[in-house]
Amino acid sequence: MSDASGKMKGRRRWAVAGVVVIAATFGWLLYGGLDKNVVFFLTPAELLAKGTDGVEVPVRLGGQVKPGSVAWDDQTLDLNFVVVDGVGEVKVHSTGAPPQMFRDGMGVIVEGQFGRDGVFRSSSLMVKHSNEYRPPAEGQRPQEMYKTLFKESPK
Amino acid sequence: MMGPLGHGALLVALVVAACGMLLIPIATRRKRRDWQLIGYAAVHTNFLLLTVAMIAMVTALVTHDFSVSYVAQVGSRATPLLYTIISLWGALEGSILLWGWVLALYVSAVLWINQDREGDLVPYAMTVLLGVMLFFVILLVGPANPFGTVFPVPLDGPGPNPLLQNHWLMAVHPPLLYMGYVGMAVPFAFAMGAMLAGEVAQDGWMRLVRRWMLVSWGFLAAAIIAGMWWSYEVLGWGGYWAWDPVENASFMPWLTATAYLHSAMVQERRGMLRLWNVNLVVGTFVLTILGTFLTRSGIISSVHAFTTGAIGYYFLSFIAIVLVMALVMVAGNSEKLRTVGTLDSALSRETAFLGNNLLFTAFTFTVLVGTLYPLVSEAIQGVKVSVGEPFFNRMSLPIMVLLLFLMGVGPALPWRSAPPGVVRDKLLPPIVGGVLLAAVAFLLGSRGGWALVTFLFVGYSATITFREFYIGSAARHRAHGEGWATALLRLVGANPRRYGGYVAHLGIFIVAIGIAASGGSRLEREATLAPGDSLTLGDVTVALRGVWGRQEPQRYVIGATLELRSASGAVIDTLAPRMNFYPSSDQPVPTPDVNSTVFRDVYANLQTFREDGSTATVKLIREPLVSWIWMGGGVLVLGALISLLAGPRRREPEAA
Amino acid sequence: MNWRRALVAALFAAPVIGLFAWGMTRDPKYIPSPLPGREGPTFALEVFAPGVPPIARPAGDTISLAAFRGQIVVVNFWASWCLACRDEHADLSATALRYAGQPVQFVGVLYMDQIEPALRWITEMGGQTYPSVNDPRSRAAIDYGLYGVPETFILDAQGRVAHKQTGPISAGLLTHLVDSLLVAAGASDTAASAPTAGTVSP
Repeated sequence: MSDASGKMKGRRRWAVAGVVVIAATFGWLLYGGLDKNVVFFLTPAELLAKGTDGVEVPVRLGGQVKPGSVAWDDQTLDLNFVVVDGVGEVKVHSTGAPPQMFRDGMGVIVEGQFGRDGVFRSSSLMVKHSNEYRPPAEGQRPQEMYKTLFKESPK
Repeated sequence: MMGPLGHGALLVALVVAACGMLLIPIATRRKRRDWQLIGYAAVHTNFLLLTVAMIAMVTALVTHDFSVSYVAQVGSRATPLLYTIISLWGALEGSILLWGWVLALYVSAVLWINQDREGDLVPYAMTVLLGVMLFFVILLVGPANPFGTVFPVPLDGPGPNPLLQNHWLMAVHPPLLYMGYVGMAVPFAFAMGAMLAGEVAQDGWMRLVRRWMLVSWGFLAAAIIAGMWWSYEVLGWGGYWAWDPVENASFMPWLTATAYLHSAMVQERRGMLRLWNVNLVVGTFVLTILGTFLTRSGIISSVHAFTTGAIGYYFLSFIAIVLVMALVMVAGNSEKLRTVGTLDSALSRETAFLGNNLLFTAFTFTVLVGTLYPLVSEAIQGVKVSVGEPFFNRMSLPIMVLLLFLMGVGPALPWRSAPPGVVRDKLLPPIVGGVLLAAVAFLLGSRGGWALVTFLFVGYSATITFREFYIGSAARHRAHGEGWATALLRLVGANPRRYGGYVAHLGIFIVAIGIAASGGSRLEREATLAPGDSLTLGDVTVALRGVWGRQEPQRYVIGATLELRSASGAVIDTLAPRMNFYPSSDQPVPTPDVNSTVFRDVYANLQTFREDGSTATVKLIREPLVSWIWMGGGVLVLGALISLLAGPRRREPEAA
Repeated sequence: MNWRRALVAALFAAPVIGLFAWGMTRDPKYIPSPLPGREGPTFALEVFAPGVPPIARPAGDTISLAAFRGQIVVVNFWASWCLACRDEHADLSATALRYAGQPVQFVGVLYMDQIEPALRWITEMGGQTYPSVNDPRSRAAIDYGLYGVPETFILDAQGRVAHKQTGPISAGLLTHLVDSLLVAAGASDTAASAPTAGTVSP
């Protein structure tokens, strides 16, 4: 009996040691994974204040589209605009179509990296819009904005 | 009219649930069966009252009774009937009402099925369930009251959230999710009830729990797959999973429930892992409440988060109560949950299940850490961060492929210890199947390392699974002279738990193939087209026919008509990706169009267009085998259904 | 029941609950503004809603923030389509009247909206005591790095942003902030006052 329980205890000790080793390895992997894949959430002023620490690391940049800064080439799909937060300004470049309602002054969050050339290369662009009930203003309703489209009947 | 009716029903339900919760344990302690029956009547009455509230809300929605605050918030006269009805779960208050009703349904059903069971387990489980019920009714009469009165009564409302009214899957996904989520309360209640009743050391309650867990698990699996499908069909980026906190919230309890369904077998067969299983049952419920808290309190930002309010503090209090009670009960009873059996051999089914549980736990922990890390980081370092998809992918891919591997090893190994030669006879030959599948995938153009490893292990494990079906049917075929189809059906019917599990495994294999193929061999192009222009991607070409606008009762639609042609130039299909403009939002909702076959999906999304319709910018994605994910989900649920066929007392060698 | 074990286990709940409780105190959608501690951008915009005496300004008048230097200014961005603006409206209106005659100015700034629905909204809400200006090209909103409505900025006597409020503001918080700025302004006609809230960027 005592021999059996002694054997059990020995086994248990091994099991506990095994679990500790596995947990430690796993924890280390988790930590390493987090360390490399954390994306900082910054505004333009904060990004600029980081200096070289903010360059070529994944960042989520939140701010507003500076009026008049949006330039989109619909053939090459190059999209350039400036994100501002009232203090700092950051040039952003991305590839792909801007969201249909991409407007001056709109809140955006772009994810990407700030390059050495001072341009933020964005891999994804999210428009920040309130979930609230907001009827489109006069002249902003789709049937008014896209009059010619609504004249044609759907095929 | 409907407002006071619904609100009144909920107020009465509050009293009834509270009385039942107090009466049942007192009756049980004093052994007063008559009092207990009154308490049980309260359970069914509570369900009736919540049903009245539900009917009142649906009636108010359908009749556009804008004096009811929830209707004023999500209703609109222009919304089609289907979407008016499903707007019931389109915002916080309605979703809590649905939640409460589903819970009441479960509680009533659990009582109905189990009320004649001997012992104090059922009354104590009822007490716990009524406690959870009470919390949701408190929400419904307090911070999430859907039946508030609006005065003056508005003539019309803004309509439901545009994302909700854009696709029929929104009629399916949330109810499935609630059925799965809420159902996890039942195993929790049985576990707590068993500890309160002092029956936790016996295994009888575990058999009850397993079936209820399986029901919720099946719903949750269906909900997760439906959610992936919805995200694919509506969000316009051609993907189906983004490790968003809301997705993670539904995924974590599914992981722990899956772990439990496996480790419960170890307990039944070998008397091991008893404390561990109680932890899994309790942990699964805590994770569902945590998930609800995360998505309803606005504590973590997510695409899907509901609007915030005081409700977060209610959930915080509830989570605190549940967590403390669960920890106290489990730790306090831990000495009674000693392991009886021992591990005889490293090469046995138990070991495979242990490995499975280790991996599922690591998986859950990874997702939990990734989800909560932004909160921790801000609390400790004051830095706002988010955890990117690469973290989740890097951590979870190895775990997932190892799980796929174990899905083959487990069924191939016997319980206790394997006879010598098992590796040579049972474990090695199926490698041929794995290599074959990986080779086929490679020849068809799959190149990613993880994708190929996935095919290798899926091929390996699927071969073993098929072999199990084959050996069983062949034995029946020989012994009883049954035809192959009959033999297969009777085999499954004779042991639905085991073969239902294998069917569920086949579902997972199909999903895994779909994910590995679609993720690994995805082609994507975006271009601005004028009518007549075309865009080629792999073996398909689309040509823009035109851009058009259309007015529908509840929305404006801008669409592009694309002609889809094969490499030979034959017209396959016409795709019409659209943008839907709803009056309640200044952003249009993308509505991609998909041409789906068994082998590949062609996915087209209208990215933007010129105001006069002279050009449209289109994103085209070609992904192989996406539809396998949805089909695999169906097979997975079928497996759960087959497993449920097994009577609860079928496999009780020491039956009472 | 082993109560000792139970108690030890229960302690594990504390950090989790603590973390969540702390989490409830902040808004994940909130993006830290670099403005607090800095000079608030000035604007000169036309009044479209006059407010009520004694703090009214006739419609068509131009309100220039620069002219308010030396006074505490509460700038509230709002819109008629914004639901949360309804919650704070009564508090703002009442607080503005309370400070009539003191060196405190309230200005409403209309954000992405039309004058007509905005005036209708004011009537519906039972009036607005302080004047509101229109910001037709959203210049002021952009200068202030606005994310949505409502947002409220409180400027101290030196024209610096002392506090930024995302979402509705309550009368209690508003009074507390304005009072402390008034005290600071009164106490330090010589020394520059420190902002009461927000961080000062070096």
